[in-house]
Amino acid sequence: MAEYSAADFAPLKVQSHSQTLSRPSLSYWQDAWIRLKANRRALTSLYLVIGLLVFTLLGPLIWRVNPASQDLDQISAPPGRDRGALVVPEYTPWEGPTTQATELQLAAPPTSQAVRLQWAPLPNAHGHRVYRNLYPVGPERAFGIPLAEFFDNSTLYFEDRLDLRPGRYYYSVVALNDNGRPTTEAQTITVDVRRATSISDAIKQGIIPVDAEVEVGDVLQVALHPLGTDYLGRDMLARLMAGARVSLFIGIFAPFLYVLFGVVYGSVAGFLGGKIDQLMMRFADFVVALPFLLFMILFKIAFGIGPGESGVFPMLVAMILLLWPASARLVRGQILQIREQGYVEASKLLGAKSTYLIFRHMLPNTLGVVLVTLTFEIPRAIFTEAFLSFIGMGVAPPTPSWGSMSNEGIKTMLNTPHELIFPALMISITVLAFNLLGDGLRDALDARMRNTE
Amino acid sequence: MWWFIGKRLIQGLITVWFIATATFFAMHNVPGDPLLNDRATTPIIRANLEAKYGLDKPLLTQYFIYLNNIAHGDFGISFAQENREVNDIIREHFPVSAILGVLAVLIAAVGGILWGSLTALYRNRMPDYIIMFLVILGISVPSFVIAALSQLGIVTINQLLGINFLPVAGWGTIYHMLVPALVLGLSTMAYLTRLMRSSMLEIVYSDFVRTAKSKGVPPARIFARHQLRNAVLPVITVLGPSIAAITTGGFVVEIVFAIPGLGRFFVEAVQQLDYTVIMGTTVFYGAFLVFMVILVDVIYGFIDPRVRLS
Amino acid sequence: MSEMAHKAESSVPLLVVENLHVEFDTYGGTVQAVRGVSFSIEVGKTLAIVGESGCGKSVTVQSMMGLIPMPPGRITAGSARLKGNEILGRHIIKGRDIRGSQIGMIFQDPMTSLNPTMTIGDQIAEPLQIHRGYSHAKAFKEAINLLSMSKIPEAAKRARQYPFEFSGGMLQRAMIAMAIACKPSILIADEPTTALDVTIQAQILDLLQDLQKETGMAVILITHDLGVVARMADDVAVMYAGKIVEQGSVDDIFYRSAHPYTLGLKLAMPTNDPAKQHKLNPIEGSPPDLFSPPPGCGYCPRCPYAMEICDRQQSDLIALSGHHASRCWLHHPEVTQRPEDLTYAEGQR
Repeated sequence: MAEYSAADFAPLKVQSHSQTLSRPSLSYWQDAWIRLKANRRALTSLYLVIGLLVFTLLGPLIWRVNPASQDLDQISAPPGRDRGALVVPEYTPWEGPTTQATELQLAAPPTSQAVRLQWAPLPNAHGHRVYRNLYPVGPERAFGIPLAEFFDNSTLYFEDRLDLRPGRYYYSVVALNDNGRPTTEAQTITVDVRRATSISDAIKQGIIPVDAEVEVGDVLQVALHPLGTDYLGRDMLARLMAGARVSLFIGIFAPFLYVLFGVVYGSVAGFLGGKIDQLMMRFADFVVALPFLLFMILFKIAFGIGPGESGVFPMLVAMILLLWPASARLVRGQILQIREQGYVEASKLLGAKSTYLIFRHMLPNTLGVVLVTLTFEIPRAIFTEAFLSFIGMGVAPPTPSWGSMSNEGIKTMLNTPHELIFPALMISITVLAFNLLGDGLRDALDARMRNTE
Repeated sequence: MWWFIGKRLIQGLITVWFIATATFFAMHNVPGDPLLNDRATTPIIRANLEAKYGLDKPLLTQYFIYLNNIAHGDFGISFAQENREVNDIIREHFPVSAILGVLAVLIAAVGGILWGSLTALYRNRMPDYIIMFLVILGISVPSFVIAALSQLGIVTINQLLGINFLPVAGWGTIYHMLVPALVLGLSTMAYLTRLMRSSMLEIVYSDFVRTAKSKGVPPARIFARHQLRNAVLPVITVLGPSIAAITTGGFVVEIVFAIPGLGRFFVEAVQQLDYTVIMGTTVFYGAFLVFMVILVDVIYGFIDPRVRLS
Repeated sequence: MSEMAHKAESSVPLLVVENLHVEFDTYGGTVQAVRGVSFSIEVGKTLAIVGESGCGKSVTVQSMMGLIPMPPGRITAGSARLKGNEILGRHIIKGRDIRGSQIGMIFQDPMTSLNPTMTIGDQIAEPLQIHRGYSHAKAFKEAINLLSMSKIPEAAKRARQYPFEFSGGMLQRAMIAMAIACKPSILIADEPTTALDVTIQAQILDLLQDLQKETGMAVILITHDLGVVARMADDVAVMYAGKIVEQGSVDDIFYRSAHPYTLGLKLAMPTNDPAKQHKLNPIEGSPPDLFSPPPGCGYCPRCPYAMEICDRQQSDLIALSGHHASRCWLHHPEVTQRPEDLTYAEGQR
C-alpha cells in the first residue's frame, strides 16, 4: 500500500469541498416565481392574460370603430369576405327581358342590387313559382323561400331584390298545375351574386366622398370588418373589445371584491374563534345553501335595471352578496391552522399584539391560498356573466358582453357561425388562461412540494 | 348514524327557511307594485292574489302568510297564467329536469371517477395528456357553446346518415335525453376528473398503499380495495355542490334543446316577471338542493367509517 | 484491501445485499440516495441500520422491497439475494410473492400506514388470502389469532374495527400482526417506534423481541435511536450519506467504535450512568448534499480527525476483526497517529 504518502495522513488544513448549500436561499415569493417561470403552461397562460388585457384596454385605441354603429351594407358578414363593390348605374325598374329564354337563366349579371331571371315555360305548366335558397336544393326538393307566383304563362321573368347579399344563391322555378299547385317539374340555377352599389348609395353610406370621381364599372372597397359583422351589421372586433371590458370587468373585479370580503370575514371569524366564529360560519353556511344562479337572477330582478343602464352593477352586487363564503371558509380554516403554529405562539409569548399577529403572521401566510382562489374565481365569474347574459338575464342590450354576443350568435349559428364562434372563443380562451394560471400558481405556491424536494 | 341524519335534516329545514326568507325579502324589494304589471294580470287573478297574500296588510303579516303557505306546500297561483297553481307547474315540469339532472350527475360522477383514476394511473403518459387536455377544454368552453355544437353535430350526423339517428331537440324518449344529459354533465365530469386525479395521485403515494404493496397485494387489488374507495371520498364531498351546479346549469341545456323542464319554465317566468312562479321555483329548487346535499352527506357516511361511526 | 465483513464463518446468511445503488430524479437534479450498500443478515438475528435522517437507510430497505416509486426512483446497481435467490431488478414480479410472505415490513407512522376505510381484520387477512389462498372467513379468523398474538385485548372485537378507532400503539401492534401473518423469515421494521410515546415504544420493542423468539425470524431494524439499537440489535450497520461507514456486532459499535461518525453519534447520546455523564456534544454541520456527493469522505467537513486524504478520496471498508469494519482512513496501516477517543483502534493494533 505504498500509493499513499505520509502527507496524505497529515491533519487536513484546507477543505476543498467546504460545506456550501448548492441551492441559493430564496424567499417564498422568489421561489414561487421561479417555479411559475419553469412551468411552460402557466407562463403561456400568463402571457395570454396580459394579451387579453392589452386587447381590452389598448385595442379600442387602435381599432377605433364604434361598436354600436351599424353597417347596413354588411349584415352578418363573415370575416375575410371580398370587400369589392362594383359600381353600377342607379337602379331603374325592369320592364322584362328583351330576348326569349330557353331555360331558367339570368337576364343580367347578378348583383346585390338585383338578380334578374327569365325562363321558358316548363312542360305542362299553367303557371310558375319562383324560389330562392341558400343551400343546394338536393333530392328532397328543398327549394327555400318562395318569392313569387305567376298563374299563367304570360310572365316568364322575375326580378329579385329581396335582401340580397354577396354570395351564392340557388334559384328555382317550379311549374304549377291548373289548380295553382306545384308539380314535379322544376328547374334550378346557381347564382353567384356580386356586391354592387350605385354612386349615390356609395356616397350616402360614406364609402366615397361626395366629390369623388367614380365611374360605373369601378370597384369600390366597402368598410373593413376583420372579424365580420353581427346580425345588426355591427363590427365584431369592436364589439368583442367592448364586450371584453364588460366581461373582464365583472370577471376580475367581482371576484376581487368578494374574495376580499371573504378574507376579511373569514379572518375575523378565525381570529376571534369560539361562539362568534360558530355564528359567523353558520351564516356563511346558509348563504352557501342559496341556489346561486337562481338568486343571481332574483337579485337582478329585485335591483331592477333602469332605462339606459347596462345591468353590470346589479350583477356585481349580486355576486358579492352570494359568492363570498367560499373564500371566507378557506381563510378561516387557514387562520385556525396558523393560530396553532409554533411561531404564532412564540410571537404571542413575546408580547405581540393581535393586529401584529394578524398582519405579520396570519394574512401573509394565507396570501398564497387567497391568490390561487382568486385566480380560480375569475373564470367562474366570467362563466356566470356569460350564463346570465345567455339566458337574457345579464347585461342589458345594447351593451355588449361576450355572453350576450354568444346568445345573439347562437340564433344564427347555422348560417353565420362566426357570430357565435368569436365570443365563445374569447370566453374559452380567457377561462382557459386563468385556469392554467391558477394551476401553475397553486403548484408554485404549494408548500408541500417544497418539502418533498 | 340516525342521530347524524336527524341533525342534518334539522339543519336542512333551517336552511330552507333561510332560503324562503331571503327569497321573500328579495322579491319584496322589487320596485313598484307586482300586481301593476299589466302583462297578463286580469282582474280575476288580481282579486285572487290580493285575498291570498293579503297584499294590503303589513309586510310582516304578508311574510307569515307566505311562510305558512310554504309550510303547507302551497306556492301560490301563477301571475301570468290564469288559474294555474305553481304547484301544478312544478309537478309537471320538475320531473323532466330531475331525470335530466340525475342522468347528468350519474354520467359526471361515473365518468369523473373513471377518467380521473385512469389519468392518475397513467400519469405523465399519453392517456393522461389526452384526457387532461379534453378536461381543460371541458372546463373552459361554456356549456351553451357545447350544447349548440353538439346540436350541430346531431344535425350533421343525421344528414350524413340520412336518417334521424338522434332527435335534435324535444323530450320524450331515452334518445332525447342522451345528448342533453351528456352536455349537461360534461363540465362537472371534467371538474370531477381533475379532482379524482389529484386525489388518486395523493393516494398512490400514501403510506397505506405502500403498506399494501409491502404485503404483496397485486396492483389490481390495490386499486380496487385500497386506492379507489379512499380516493373517491373527496369527490363525494363535492357531489352536493355539483348537483346544484348541474340542476341550475340545466337551464341552458333545456333552452337549447327545447326540453320542457322547470329550468326553462323558470327562465320564461323571469322574462314575464311571474313573481309567484319565480319565488316558488326558487324555494323549491333551494329545498331540493339542500335535500340532495344531505343525501350526499349520508352516502359519504356510508363510505367513510370515520363519519359513520363517530 | 480486504473487502466486506459479511464473510461470516458461522452460518449461511439469509439475505445478502451487495453494492446497492439507488438514485432519485428530482426537480433539482439526481439525488444519489444510496451509494453502494452491502450487508447481510443471518437467520433469527437482528440487524440494526442506524443513521440520521436522509442517510439512505429507509431507501435501502424500501428499494429491496420494491417500494420506492419508479420513476422517480431508480436502482442503478446491486443485488439482493434471499436464500440465494435474486429479488431485485427484473425479478420484480416475483418480488410480489416475496413481499408479505417471505419478508414482512412495518413502517414508521402506523396512523397513516393503514387503510382508513378497511377494517383492521380485513387488512391483516389480506396477505393470507393472497399468499396462502385462504378464504376470507379463514383468513379473518387467523387475523384474530394474530391480533391476540400481538397482545391486543378483545381481538375478535378489535378485528372488526377501523384504524381510526385504534390508538397509535395498538395500530403498530396491528401492523406487526399484519407483517408476520405469513410467517416471513425476515421482518423489516422501518423506524417502528419513532412516532410513538416512550412507554409504548418499549412495549412494541418487547413484542418484537417476543415474536422473534417465537417465530425465529430475522429482523432488520431501521432507526436513528441508539437506545433502541443497544436493546434490540445483534449486528449494527451505521450509514452516513448513502454509505455504510461502520458495521459490526452491537458490542463492536458501542464499545469499540471505529469511525468518527459513530463516535460522534455516541457522544451526542444522553446517558443515565452518573459515572459516565458528559455534556451532550452535537455533531456540528450537516450531511453533504447528495445532488453532487463530494469525492472524499462525506463526513470529512464535520470530522475532528480529518486528514488530507479524506478530502480527496473515501476509504473502503477496512476490516478490523471478524465482522467489524470501518470506512475510515484512520485505520489504514500507514496511519501512525490515531486519536485517543477511538479506543478500539488504539488497543487492537
